[in-house]
Amino acid sequence: MSNNEKNKHKFSNKPKDTKELLNQLGDEFKPGVTDEFKLEDMPEKSRRRFLALMGASAAFAATACTDYRDKGAIVNYNKKPEEVTMGKANYYASTLDNGLGILIKTREGRPVKIDGNPEHPINKGKIDVYGQASLMDLYDPDRIRYPQMYDESTLEFDRFFKKKTKWDVIDKKVIEKLENAVASGKEIAIFTKNSSSPTFLKLLSDFKAKYPTTNVYSYDTINDSARDAAWKVCYGSEKFPGIDYSKADIIVTFEADLLGNDGNTVEQTQAITSRRNHEDLDNFNRIYAVEGGFSLTGANADYRVRLTPEAHLELILALANHLAKGSISSISSYRLDSVISKYGLNKETIHLLADDLAKHSGKAVASAGTLHSKETHIAVNLLNEILGAKDLYLDNHYTQTMSNSSKEELENLVADMNSGKVEVLISFEANPSFDLPSDYGFKEALKKVPEVIAMTQIENETSAHAGFLLPVNHAFESWGDFGGRVGVISLRQPVISPIHDTRQKESLLLTWIEGADKYSDDNYHKYIMNRWQSEEFPKIAKIGSFEKFWYAALHDGFVTFNPQMGEGEHPQIQFNYNALNALKPVSKSGFTVVLANSMIGDGSLANNGWLQEIPHPVSKVVWDNYAAVSPSTAKKMDLKDNDIIEININGRKQILPVWVQAGTADDLVYTEIGYGREKGGTVGSEVGTNVNILMSKNSGLSERIFTGAKVSKVEGEHKLVATQEHHALDDDFVKDFHKIRDIIQEGTVKQYKEDPHFLHAHKHEVISITPDIEYPNEKWAMAMDLNKCTGCSLCVAACNVENNVPIVGKEETSKGREMHWIRIDRYFSGTPDEPEASIQPMICQHCDNAPCENVCPVVATTHSPDGLNQMVYNRCVGTRYCANNCPYKVRRFNFFDFREMFEDGYQYSDSLKLMNNPEVTVRARGVMEKCTFCVQRITEARQIATEKGEKFTGAGITTACQEACPADAIVFGNVNDPNSAISKLAKHDLGYHVLEMLNVRPNVTYLAKLRNKHTNGGHGEH
Amino acid sequence: MNTDYTHEPSVIEGKPTLASIDEVVIKPTETMPDKKFFMAIGFTMTLMMIGALSLGLSFYYGTGMWGNNNPVGWGFPIVNFVFWVGIGHAGTLISAILFLFRQKWRNGIARFAEGMTIFAVMTAGIFPLIHVGRPWLAHYLFPLPNQHGLWVNFTSPLLWDVFAVSTYFTVSFVFWYVGLMPDFATMRDRTTNKIKKVIYSILSLGWRHSNRHWLNYEMIYLILAGFATPLVLSVHTIVSFDFAVSVLPGWHTTIFPPYFVAGAVFSGFAMVQNVLIFIRKIFNMEHIITVDTLEKMNKIIILTGSMVGYAYAMEFFIAWYSGNQAESFAFVNRAFGDYAWAYWIMVSCNVISPQLFWIKKLRRSIPFMFMIGVFVNVGMWFERFVITVTSLSRDFLPSSWAYYKPTLVDFGILIGSFGMFFTLLLLFTKTMPVVSIAEVKAVVDGAQPSHHGHDEEEGGNKHE
Repeated sequence: MSNNEKNKHKFSNKPKDTKELLNQLGDEFKPGVTDEFKLEDMPEKSRRRFLALMGASAAFAATACTDYRDKGAIVNYNKKPEEVTMGKANYYASTLDNGLGILIKTREGRPVKIDGNPEHPINKGKIDVYGQASLMDLYDPDRIRYPQMYDESTLEFDRFFKKKTKWDVIDKKVIEKLENAVASGKEIAIFTKNSSSPTFLKLLSDFKAKYPTTNVYSYDTINDSARDAAWKVCYGSEKFPGIDYSKADIIVTFEADLLGNDGNTVEQTQAITSRRNHEDLDNFNRIYAVEGGFSLTGANADYRVRLTPEAHLELILALANHLAKGSISSISSYRLDSVISKYGLNKETIHLLADDLAKHSGKAVASAGTLHSKETHIAVNLLNEILGAKDLYLDNHYTQTMSNSSKEELENLVADMNSGKVEVLISFEANPSFDLPSDYGFKEALKKVPEVIAMTQIENETSAHAGFLLPVNHAFESWGDFGGRVGVISLRQPVISPIHDTRQKESLLLTWIEGADKYSDDNYHKYIMNRWQSEEFPKIAKIGSFEKFWYAALHDGFVTFNPQMGEGEHPQIQFNYNALNALKPVSKSGFTVVLANSMIGDGSLANNGWLQEIPHPVSKVVWDNYAAVSPSTAKKMDLKDNDIIEININGRKQILPVWVQAGTADDLVYTEIGYGREKGGTVGSEVGTNVNILMSKNSGLSERIFTGAKVSKVEGEHKLVATQEHHALDDDFVKDFHKIRDIIQEGTVKQYKEDPHFLHAHKHEVISITPDIEYPNEKWAMAMDLNKCTGCSLCVAACNVENNVPIVGKEETSKGREMHWIRIDRYFSGTPDEPEASIQPMICQHCDNAPCENVCPVVATTHSPDGLNQMVYNRCVGTRYCANNCPYKVRRFNFFDFREMFEDGYQYSDSLKLMNNPEVTVRARGVMEKCTFCVQRITEARQIATEKGEKFTGAGITTACQEACPADAIVFGNVNDPNSAISKLAKHDLGYHVLEMLNVRPNVTYLAKLRNKHTNGGHGEH
Repeated sequence: MNTDYTHEPSVIEGKPTLASIDEVVIKPTETMPDKKFFMAIGFTMTLMMIGALSLGLSFYYGTGMWGNNNPVGWGFPIVNFVFWVGIGHAGTLISAILFLFRQKWRNGIARFAEGMTIFAVMTAGIFPLIHVGRPWLAHYLFPLPNQHGLWVNFTSPLLWDVFAVSTYFTVSFVFWYVGLMPDFATMRDRTTNKIKKVIYSILSLGWRHSNRHWLNYEMIYLILAGFATPLVLSVHTIVSFDFAVSVLPGWHTTIFPPYFVAGAVFSGFAMVQNVLIFIRKIFNMEHIITVDTLEKMNKIIILTGSMVGYAYAMEFFIAWYSGNQAESFAFVNRAFGDYAWAYWIMVSCNVISPQLFWIKKLRRSIPFMFMIGVFVNVGMWFERFVITVTSLSRDFLPSSWAYYKPTLVDFGILIGSFGMFFTLLLLFTKTMPVVSIAEVKAVVDGAQPSHHGHDEEEGGNKHE
């Protein structure tokens, strides 16, 4: 009998009175049993002595051998900060560099998770993939830990060898240099990225006032200059207002990856997917994507038109002409049918598009990509004018902030640098040596500038040539404010004191204005407050105390206000038809090269391993950029995956590995910028190829699209790694398996309207020979709405952060050992020219009859009473049988201690260890892991309910992926709670389970995608 | 001479005297190992060291040193495990089943085949322990009482494996040892070396060749043969459950148990035949392990090879007949997918090559049968590779397909397993009688009681 049973037995004999109870308890420990244990008192030969000695020596032996040594003391707070409760998270509102409002979750003072600020009027609780992953930048071990300065007594080239120097010494030295420059009339150049911070703009003007020879330059590789310039030509006002896609019935994009990487993707995804609601079929939007490269928007479009970008102008003008019925004389020569025949387009699709645009006038909108040419944007503006899309412009539209310095300004800067007119160059957390097109010659000119001051978090191509290397704070250690949208101003506050000996970059400029001895840790904080008190407060609040206003604003992370007269209303816009006179069709010659952007943006995020390892949403390639070419171009040039081509644009050459991507336009190379950093940190350096050097100060079709390129095959091979096997689309051996096997089940809006049960028409009942297990209390389940899911991979980023998922690197990914708990499966069907993509997020399905559970020999994976499929890491020995037997292949095995194996233990660096979510175990090598439905969040909610004595229903629990999903495609909850959304979705007409016939009874329901086609598409090949 | 058609021809060639059998069989254990022996064992131990080094790397860095990836959780180690367990099967079949069927020709080869069973199972037994991610916790696989109250999962075929293999090893070992007792006694009686005498005395457990000993011996041998017989069928059946109980297309097949057993016997016989060809030559036992005996083994190879071939065909048929797309693709993919090369190696080695044994001349040709034996072993290793790897590399979701590529460490461990097996075999040949002296004496022509009565008194070792 076990002790427990014994005790139960004992106490079940209810004592008659207290006295008896006391007697009974008194007898619990019989005399002698609890005698003090003294080894020396025992006889020489005794059983107890023997056992004691044996036990002690065994215990010593065991502790000597154990792997789990105490690795350091846990020191408690001496005086606990008032707002910190151990084990309880705090949330602070702040703002990302791109103006998205965030909530930073901190645990014991460490930021551990970033999500959108639900109150924020622009991004409404969601953030982009960069924001999700930005946590890693804070803890990046490559961050420079202290300020460095060169030794002035050494020769010039010794400036590479900088010495650790105190901040006050540096401040004095810099101020001296700045004053000298002003005194000798030489220029001080500040190079920055475009900022929307009103306080920063004020700071710059203060700086200029103090140092009058200062000039400010700004440059972003990914910028809106073409769109804004086109807007100015068409309407005369400065800034394109932005489009509210939630009001659009018909959206037609021209090389615009609205759902992927173009513009404010969070806001756009929210807006577009809000109109793909299966409960509101009448307001289902329809997306047409016209594009040369295969983008995520193209993958989600109802109709995709494969067309090389230089031909877009003709198509747009032909559409405009068609819709205007020839009333605009300057474009009357563009005829739809001639464009269709010239480019071999699908006549039916184009006419459907034209009809849809005509039918939905006022509710249809066109959008050209950020990277598109000014001419195309002008044509799109015209098309929108004809469509009456003015009503679709954003309420809180974009306002003019900083924009790229003009080509002339930058040319002059470089000339002045070369001629010695620039004495001091301050790189204000920018990287012009990498970002600027190489034919400016900035990198070479930089060597001629006497004093280069680089403010940066990690070394980059620009800071490598700086005499002053000044490490700056991460966003989460900084103060700031952000404008850029009418009626909204967001605030940034620090949530952790600087981890290293760094300072906020604005605070450095401020110190150099005010004097070295005036520095204090909160000088920029005060500066912002002062500006707000004098400028914003009177404008916004008008009454009450500033203190109250300021703390309320900080708490919320933003303030909204009714803009002043004229600012809030849509600009009185009148289309300037003269703008059309400059539009001319581009004649096709050679190859077209499109330099798009992907997960790592312009390259400044290259050192973020999480971002590098999120597969490209369409190709699924990781850790690389590549030249995507169409299958027929590949055939023509005898290219296959991993071959190398040389791209030559007017003498600017670069070699790139080839990826044959179905759906790419012919004679087009689609690639992504930001890769190939020379000095991008431990993780980011030498990843991919630098295609920025293909860019030129003289634009091609646009800054990032060039025509007339020469492409030739060269010797060699570069292995590209994708997380999905790459099959030719016309390979009959494996074609359309996702449909044949009912992994992807789809229909059309029309079909669903006609027959809501169409999906289940041919289904058989699957019976089980074992009785079903009852779940009397909660039962967790999830629904994934494939109508809304765009495949943006934000959920992957969020899950990585929440669940301490390690980075494994390119080499291990090539062996199929990526660790992501949620992945986005992408399938192609159709033809190589007109592929149709299906997207499906895949996680552990938490099956009721989980096949993984019964095969584990050590019971390391079990079913919880609330329906979760659990992993017991401590018990797992790693037979991998569970992973073999999982039909969904969602289990991930720690083949190595990836934290140790990746880049020499990079992830075990002291600072990165702080990043881990303390609620989730960091898994050892040799252990299986997988999605847990964020069990730590469920447990926390249950604890809170228990504490408060409330009935626990599971309402309000969100998983990390769900929380991050801008489309709200993921719904999680207690399926036994009849009020929950999930309980309805689990039985939905559109709901299906992947691999239903296996009868493993998954708890993840997929809602079939409805394509908004004009026809009743029919359901697969059944 | 009168021709007696009821008289079976002896399985031992010539009419060797009983003393000469003692002499021939025990000689290798009484002479110092020669240079050739040291060269041979030096070679096999080198192979073993390669394996040890590879294992060391795997333990130090992790299972990531192997080619395994996310869909393909099982690679070489499991393939090797199934292969070696299979090799063991011939021994038990020869010593137990053929014994029960009174096949006298098995007497000359039973001892050696049983030895191979023991060593093959020892080699196989290493793999389930080392293939896990955390081998230092491999004891979790055994139902050891512990203070956490944690128990093993009796629904997992891997646990059944633990029991099946350990039972198999125990029974085989006891059976082998019981058979060795009379021979140890003979060696004890012959040796003049004091140390050997002590060792053999202990090992022979006081055997005195008395009639009563023989009576008890016969009975226990029969009982143990009875015990071992179902194990021949059960062990590989249970090993096949590792695959058959799963849900994977290509694994989830009811044909697996008989097909695995046939395959195991097939590869086991090929291995025994291969090794015996060397043994009979080196130790001058060509008259004890005769070409007739080898031919009989080759006949079993044809039989089991054909059964395996039938199973391959039937798998295809059922996959098509089931109408299950995933199932039929799994098999089409084996033959025409990325691993087609492995599949066709398997088919040509296992199905086509043994069919040549229908020709009597080839069946009795030593070099030829050796070659076919090697083919069969290669083919059977590939069979396990095809089953394990191709099914995993392309299962239900095409998004999760991946090609498995073994690493050098994988090959190192495979080589090491051969090194271990042959090292043990070599040590066996120098320390114990590789042929059962007592059993062979019983089948020497003239050793049996005869109806004619004239040589009854010679039957010192009655064995009926």
